Amino acid sequence: MIQSFIIAKKELQLLIRDKLTATVLFALPFAMILILGLLLGEGFGQKSDDLMRISVLNLDKGLGLNNKSWAEHAIDDIVSTPNIKVEIIQGKELADELVKTGKRAAVIIFNPDFSERVNECSFLSKGVNPFHRDGIYLEKLQVSIIKDNKQPATSAIIESVCQIALLRIVMPWMIGKAFEKLGDPEFIELLGKEVSLPIPPSLRLLIPKDKIPLGELLELASGKDIDLAKNYREKVGVGIQTALTGQFKNYNLTGKSWASLTRSINNPETVKTLTTFQNEDGTGILKRGAIRYQILVPSFTVMFAFSLILISGWIFVAEKRQGTFNRLLSTPVRTSSILMGKFLPTIIISLLQIFFLLGLGKLLLGLKIGLSTWSLTDWMIALIILPFATSFCVAASSLFIGILSKNETQLALLSSVPVCLFALIGGCIFPWEMMPDNAKTLAFLTPQGWALDAFREIMPSSFDTTTDFQLIWKSSLVLSIMGFILLSITWVTLGKIRFGNS
Amino acid sequence: MTQVHSVILKIDGVTKLHGQFRALNSISLTINRGEIFGLLGPNGAGKSTLLSILAGSSKPCSGIATFDGTQIQPSNQTLRSRIGLVPQDFAFYEDLTAKENLLFFGQLFGLRGTFLTNKVNEILQIIGLDDGKAHQYSKHFSGGMKRRLNLGIALVHSPDVLMLDEPTVGVDPQSRNRIFEAIKTINALGTTVIYTTHYMEEAESLCNRIAILDHGEIIACDTLKNLLALTQTTVKFSIIEDDQSKEEILIRSIPALKPNILPGSYSLTTHTNPTPDIINLLVNEKIQIINLQMDSPNLEKVFLSLTGRHLRD
Repeated sequence: MIQSFIIAKKELQLLIRDKLTATVLFALPFAMILILGLLLGEGFGQKSDDLMRISVLNLDKGLGLNNKSWAEHAIDDIVSTPNIKVEIIQGKELADELVKTGKRAAVIIFNPDFSERVNECSFLSKGVNPFHRDGIYLEKLQVSIIKDNKQPATSAIIESVCQIALLRIVMPWMIGKAFEKLGDPEFIELLGKEVSLPIPPSLRLLIPKDKIPLGELLELASGKDIDLAKNYREKVGVGIQTALTGQFKNYNLTGKSWASLTRSINNPETVKTLTTFQNEDGTGILKRGAIRYQILVPSFTVMFAFSLILISGWIFVAEKRQGTFNRLLSTPVRTSSILMGKFLPTIIISLLQIFFLLGLGKLLLGLKIGLSTWSLTDWMIALIILPFATSFCVAASSLFIGILSKNETQLALLSSVPVCLFALIGGCIFPWEMMPDNAKTLAFLTPQGWALDAFREIMPSSFDTTTDFQLIWKSSLVLSIMGFILLSITWVTLGKIRFGNS
Repeated sequence: MTQVHSVILKIDGVTKLHGQFRALNSISLTINRGEIFGLLGPNGAGKSTLLSILAGSSKPCSGIATFDGTQIQPSNQTLRSRIGLVPQDFAFYEDLTAKENLLFFGQLFGLRGTFLTNKVNEILQIIGLDDGKAHQYSKHFSGGMKRRLNLGIALVHSPDVLMLDEPTVGVDPQSRNRIFEAIKTINALGTTVIYTTHYMEEAESLCNRIAILDHGEIIACDTLKNLLALTQTTVKFSIIEDDQSKEEILIRSIPALKPNILPGSYSLTTHTNPTPDIINLLVNEKIQIINLQMDSPNLEKVFLSLTGRHLRD
């Protein structure tokens, strides 16, 4: 056994001296994870919602229709728009920061007096007229939009959405209020002064005029009774409203909201997506951490662990070709010790690579490993049993391929093709979620598939609250059995090479 | 060179086939303890195959090879500690220094601690890689230095028998001499040496006994002297032909002397070197000599006489 450690020590010594290879072995996988993560974007591994995000800061302190602030009505309106989701920003400073850093193209701010200003909007001369040729004066309504000048197209779209929403809020409100005014005594009095009716000749004896204003007529009809005259005026108002309602029956002119005004029915397929701002800066030192790395890190950890088969196998074949292996065989060292001497370094390198990637992932990307509910045993299963079983299978595979290959060309064929193919089938290149349903079944024909399934379990990519340790045990067992079978074949083959040479 | 005491290696009727090719054909020979035994033959004669059987790296198809009376088999681990094999190729780790290579292989042979360190330093001195070279990566070594390190690794565990498979291929004369010196030093310390080569000069200068292999068979095996005796020495000389009586004296004194076509030219071929006798005669009879040319026997001629081919054909 001492001889095994002597050989293993030498192998590791050689690796450390080959700084380029050592760097590539550890740095390349992480660089690949980082680069691919950046290229794939936030949506990788998640269900895409394809919704446009409108960020809103609601500072409105007033009240509008139905005891809700007009800002809430406006937000409801925007969120009901198909393909749009609303994100509520908490605070002006955050809104400024998000726009300043380019994380948001624009943020709509409903200022504290927004409801009050909307309430003041009216067609009456005293009221606020928010309209202009192209839409609404935002400043008149105490609405502001902070924009990122570097994202003009997106901020223009957001402003348009805001304009349309405000039109849908303010216009029905003003129409409704105006329609209500039709029943007001002041309006009827105004109407009474403006509208004069001709006096028929038969009545000219009683009313010696050609025409009489409507107001005077109503007073005459009431017999100078003030209350009755008022009642008649109200009836005229109601009559006008009823007549107009009948005339424009497709619209509810008193509705005061867009839905009521237009008598529109909500589209049941429209999903309202209202969220509050979540910091997506990412976790870890690099602030690049995100959910996609929960998929990329285990995938690449497994893929690169198994790619060690090629490297270790190559070293093994090169040593056979160079004659140092025959020299090893000519020493009194046991065959099993030679095998272990070659086996141990691959396991150690594989373990180091796995822990390097997980550690760096945790440190720099804030990778989520394990759950807070895990016991010490659980951690040991996840971080000792599984990595060891994976490395065991990797090391056994590399020796198996190495002993089978007579030269580097054979090794390249025997290792690179299966390693790449198995990585693809095993889900290391494309997540299973993106593959056909039966792909996962096929994945379990490969060691990568078993390893990845277990590694993903210890790095939950969703809001998992439990871990399937039975699955981790099962995967570890399968990997160990695969490794044991390959190692046994290698041992027998090496023994034949050494002692059965005829 | 140490005195020969007893047989350490014995090969009896060993045959080795590589597929249909008969690499060794019923080889039998003995190698004595303490001698430098040469295996001489052209490329493909079977030297390396025979060496691999003797080193326990390969099994004969038939016949038996014994080491100190114990049958040599690949599975016999204990014999490996008594054998040092210097393969034809460079078999060491180029990213380790010379000293690290020696320490590594020394450890594999069970050497530890101070003993190992002292042994490694001793070997480095023998192969001339002490001083700063011991700590240089062997990938930076010249071909000759690499050959010497290749030799040193086989010596680190103090084997009883050192087997060298063409250890001077591609080295400069200086390194070759270094290797020879190292081999002689090791042999002087009691190590039996088996030296395979296709350079007859190397076999002649190093070996006590030499086996000549050709097409997997031993065509001759003896001491250098006896092997050389298998061929004859030819001496050719010319005298000033001013006196007919001188020629008569020569022919009378050396009846085997043959006159050549050119007047005054003679040649003599014998199993022993006739040059001293000829020179004595010429001096005594006061015969003036124009030139003298001796064609000495060598292993090349031995091989030629035995096979009809040159060694390097």
